[in-house]
Amino acid sequence: MESTSTTALADLVRRAQRGDEAAQRELIVSYQHRVAGFVYAMTGRSDYVEDLAQQVFIKMIRALDRLQAPAQFESWLFRLARNTCIDQLRRQKLRRIFQPFGEEHENIPEPAGAVDTEELDALRHALAQLRPQDRALLALVQEGRSHAEIAEILSTSVAAVKARLHRAREHLREHYQPPHEN
Amino acid sequence: MKTEDQAWRALQAHASAQLSADFAGRVLRAAQGPSLASWRQLQAHAAARLRPGFAERVLRAARQIPGVPSLLDQLAFSAAAAAVCVLAVVFVHARNVRLEDERNLASWQQIAQQVEDLDNAR
Repeated sequence: MESTSTTALADLVRRAQRGDEAAQRELIVSYQHRVAGFVYAMTGRSDYVEDLAQQVFIKMIRALDRLQAPAQFESWLFRLARNTCIDQLRRQKLRRIFQPFGEEHENIPEPAGAVDTEELDALRHALAQLRPQDRALLALVQEGRSHAEIAEILSTSVAAVKARLHRAREHLREHYQPPHEN
Repeated sequence: MKTEDQAWRALQAHASAQLSADFAGRVLRAAQGPSLASWRQLQAHAAARLRPGFAERVLRAARQIPGVPSLLDQLAFSAAAAAVCVLAVVFVHARNVRLEDERNLASWQQIAQQVEDLDNAR
C-alpha cells in the first residue's frame, strides 16, 4: 500500500515536472495543509501562514524540474519549507536590528487564547521558546519524516539528528505549560 | 486535638482550592509533552488560515512573477559584466596611450623642424 502511494506520488511529481498544471495543482492541494502546519510551527504567526506557504509552493513549482528523485519529493518539499521559514525569521531579525521602532507590530506574538484551545496555546507557547532549528526538527518529526530523511534535509548525520531531537523534545516538555500557569 | 485536625483540613482545603480544575490533566500534559492531538490542532489551525482558492493563487503567482535566476546564471552574468568592464578599461587605456604617443610625436616633429630650421639659418 505504502509503495503504491509512493509510486503514485512519483508519477504525479513527474507529470508536474513536465509542466502539467493539473498535476501541479494536485500537489499543492495535497500538501497545502501540511505545509501550512509546518510554517505555523516554525513562525508561530497565523498571519504569515498563507504568505509563506505561497512562497514555498511557488519555489516548488519553479524548482521542480531540478528534483532528480521524484520519490524524495516530500523531503525536498519540507526542506524548501524549512529554508523559506528560516529565511523569513532571519529577515525579521535583521529588520528588528535596523528598524528597532519600525513595524513594531510585526514582532508581537499572538496572545494566549488567540488560538483555539489551551493545548494549542501551550504548544504554540512552548515552540516559541525553542530555536528555529529545533522547531524545524520537531515539526519534521510530526510530518512523519524519518531520522535519515531529516538528516538529509538538515545536511547532518543521523546521530546528530537523534541527539538534537532528544534535546529539543526535552526543551519542549520543559516549556509545555498552559501560559497562565507560568 | 479536634481543633488542630480542623485547622489542617482547612489548610488542605485552602491549598487544594488554589489548584485549577484540570490539575491532573495539566500535570500529565506537562510531564508527557504535547500530544499528537495538539500537533493535529496546530496543523488544523494553520490550514484554516489558507483562504479558498489557494492553489489557484499559487499557480497564477508562479506564472506571473519572474523567476529568480539560478546561481549559474548569476555567475555567468557576473563574468560577462566583469569581461565588459575589463574590455572597457583596456580600450580606454589603449586609446589614451595612442593619443599621448601622437601628441609626443607631434611635439618631437615640431622640435625637429625647429632644429632643422636653425641649422639651415646658420
